[in-house]
Amino acid sequence: MRKYLSLAGVVLLIVSVAACGTDDSTSVIDGESLSGSELTVYSGRSEELIGSLFADFESATGINLNVRYGDSAELAAQLLEEGNNSPADIFISQDAGSLGAVAESGMLTTLDDEILNLAPSEYQAESGAWVGLTARARVFAYDPVKVTELPDSIDDLLDPKWNGKIGIAPTNASFQAFVTALRQLRGEVAAETWLAGIAANNPVAYEKNSMIVEAINAGEIELGLVNHYYIYEVAEALGGEINVKNGFFAAGDPGNLINVSGAGILNTARNSAGAAELIKYLLSNESQNRFVSDTNEYSILEEVPSPQGLPTFADIGTPVVDLDALKDVRLTQEMLVRVGLL
Amino acid sequence: MSKTKNAVTPSQELAGGIAVPRMLQISALFVLFLASIPLGYLLLRATASGFAAASAVLLREKTVSTLITTAGLAILVALFSAIIGISSAWLIQRTNLPLPGLFLVLGTLALAVPSYVSTYAWIALIPSFAGFAAAVFILSLTTAPYVLLAALALLRRIDATQEESARALGLTASQVARRVIWPQSRPTIFASLLLVMLYVLSDFGAVSLLRVDTFTRVVHTMYKATFDRSAAAVVALILVLLAAILIYAEYKARGSAVAAKSGLGSIRTTNRIDLGFKKYLAASYLLIIAIASLGVPIYVLITRFVSVAAEINVSNLVSATIATASAALSGASLAMLFAIPLGILAARYSGRLSSYAEFGILLTHALPAVVIGLALVALGSRLGFLYQSLPLLAFSYAVLFLAKAVGLIRTSIARVPRVYDDISRSLGNNNWQTIRKITIPIAAPGVITGFLLVLLTAMKELPATLMLRPTGFDTLAIEIWTQTSISQYGQAAPYALILVLVAAIPTYLLSRPDRAQSSESRENMTL
Repeated sequence: MRKYLSLAGVVLLIVSVAACGTDDSTSVIDGESLSGSELTVYSGRSEELIGSLFADFESATGINLNVRYGDSAELAAQLLEEGNNSPADIFISQDAGSLGAVAESGMLTTLDDEILNLAPSEYQAESGAWVGLTARARVFAYDPVKVTELPDSIDDLLDPKWNGKIGIAPTNASFQAFVTALRQLRGEVAAETWLAGIAANNPVAYEKNSMIVEAINAGEIELGLVNHYYIYEVAEALGGEINVKNGFFAAGDPGNLINVSGAGILNTARNSAGAAELIKYLLSNESQNRFVSDTNEYSILEEVPSPQGLPTFADIGTPVVDLDALKDVRLTQEMLVRVGLL
Repeated sequence: MSKTKNAVTPSQELAGGIAVPRMLQISALFVLFLASIPLGYLLLRATASGFAAASAVLLREKTVSTLITTAGLAILVALFSAIIGISSAWLIQRTNLPLPGLFLVLGTLALAVPSYVSTYAWIALIPSFAGFAAAVFILSLTTAPYVLLAALALLRRIDATQEESARALGLTASQVARRVIWPQSRPTIFASLLLVMLYVLSDFGAVSLLRVDTFTRVVHTMYKATFDRSAAAVVALILVLLAAILIYAEYKARGSAVAAKSGLGSIRTTNRIDLGFKKYLAASYLLIIAIASLGVPIYVLITRFVSVAAEINVSNLVSATIATASAALSGASLAMLFAIPLGILAARYSGRLSSYAEFGILLTHALPAVVIGLALVALGSRLGFLYQSLPLLAFSYAVLFLAKAVGLIRTSIARVPRVYDDISRSLGNNNWQTIRKITIPIAAPGVITGFLLVLLTAMKELPATLMLRPTGFDTLAIEIWTQTSISQYGQAAPYALILVLVAAIPTYLLSRPDRAQSSESRENMTL
């Protein structure tokens, strides 16, 4: 037994020594001493989509980033569980809903006007708890060979000719945000009527937006409700051209919802000055241009042009929605359950 | 819940008077505490919003359909897994199947493919691949190797002389199967099927990609969509209840069969059955299973990888491999450390304490990893520097996979006649010396097998790793998740292939036919 105990002791020792190397918490008092300080980032944006900007930020400012990548909603759940003990300084999320949930629990600090003034107010929390970083449009992705007459409105999709040909992702945060917006825009009854109509058209349900685009490309369905950038992602993953295009509904249609990715700073941040620097960096013209060219997302800044080949928000005619309210998807889920889509 | 109750020997009954060594008592209490962390967390969360809110979640219509889906999936997967696993084992061990060694390795290697990877592969091949039937298909293939290994060890153990005597007394082949083989196999088969069902209850990767609403998926959906931790905890508690019913049912159904051979002498096995030309049919059957569980994922990974001509980031690949190995190795070591005392206690000093501890860890086994992850986040974030450190990650693996380890150690100890302990004591050794000199050496093969199995499972673990890993500590599973979450299946392929390769090492060691001395402990192979 002694042999086993000592073996275990060695294992534990190695393990704890290895762990000690990772812990560091430098507190920062004034802006001058930011270089060399540590900043812990919880990032719902994956490394592929933001990692190079983080690296450039590090070399530009000398601030060392400890980035924890994860799923936005799971990181939000983790932050809620950690509460005041959270090691995170800043939370970057892929959707407004996750930011809203963390903000609601009072864990996010109100951002300085210096930051809030950088971006248009419709893409940030009214309370100033978080600010948008990039924007994405809801679109319909379609098979340009089979679909010759494009729908003008989400109501056109209720036509029986679409029976079994539409793909949706009812469990996905982006689809649920769209339904929440629909409830805001048209009211509960009209929203449920539309959902029931879609359900009656036997849509094919997928887990992810990218699976919808792949299914259109494979000829299994003809049209799907997704975010605009998925056709680029899937084309890259499949290594070439795909037979899928983005389409927009008529101006003002709820199907043209704009949602944002964004960032907020924790109340308990040890390096809130560094966190503020990071947000400013990500909202700079240069970073915004890179989001547009690298990930085909829309910039949050009006002066930065749209991704190549895509109309501007003004041309799309996006509906006016309170993004802060998109976090409340409980009623949306109940509605989806009632019509049988969840 | 102690399995040793089935194999009570007269000397064990006498052992009632022997005091449980203090070390073991303390260890068992400690393990009981570990198992109670996630359950305690769930209870706290579930009751946080009050009775009315909890009953509103419980009484909604969705609960009934989820219950039917979850229970139906668990039962069907157990059934198919048993059919595939037992038939494969029988063909490999008892017939003149060509290349039995190859089919054994192929049948076991499927363990090296994480269920989320094989599900992705099937969806890539057939985009409409989804739904209940698809989930039964994938999960049966994923869990069949565990039943295969258990059944194989069983077939190796059953003494041929018993079968021959029965035949000589005029019993037909089916009567031999029913009256000689089945009573001896039942406890093992039921135990492995219970673990298959608990696996199905806790699986997230396959059911989410295939859009089958089991309780685990509903828990995830609730966390993600509403951030309502109380409602999610209530649903998770229903899952715990379902698991408890299954554990109890298995305990009752297993019966009181005596699952021991008469002595320690070597076992003679029967001659292999000549299948004639049907042996090629049998070989094609096993080949089809291998293609479905192993061939398809590897084919899809390689073709996706080639089609995008993805650049391989060698340094990332190496660091992810090291991260995977170090996390899994320390997790498996810790799990065995926790499991050894409990295994000894369960096998040698069965009583209320060991029953509770065992029941607790089996229940924990059915919990979605996200629940265990969040429980350890709630606890760990109060531990300062330990939070998001490798020791805490290893600890979470130990909690997650303890059930695998304890079952194996217990079985391998329980197989050895209690009389050895009595002899040791009569020679003047005290309890502790007996454990050290007799029990631990006997348990060693089970410990090694358990270690390999926990190692294998920990390598593939994702949800708890995401929450508890040190920041920047990216395992292969994390890298695969990172790439697939933005549809970069080609970029994910090298990581997935390396994971399959690395996981193949413990898998191969588990399947090696020459590890005969541990084949008995493999019989209670747990998921």
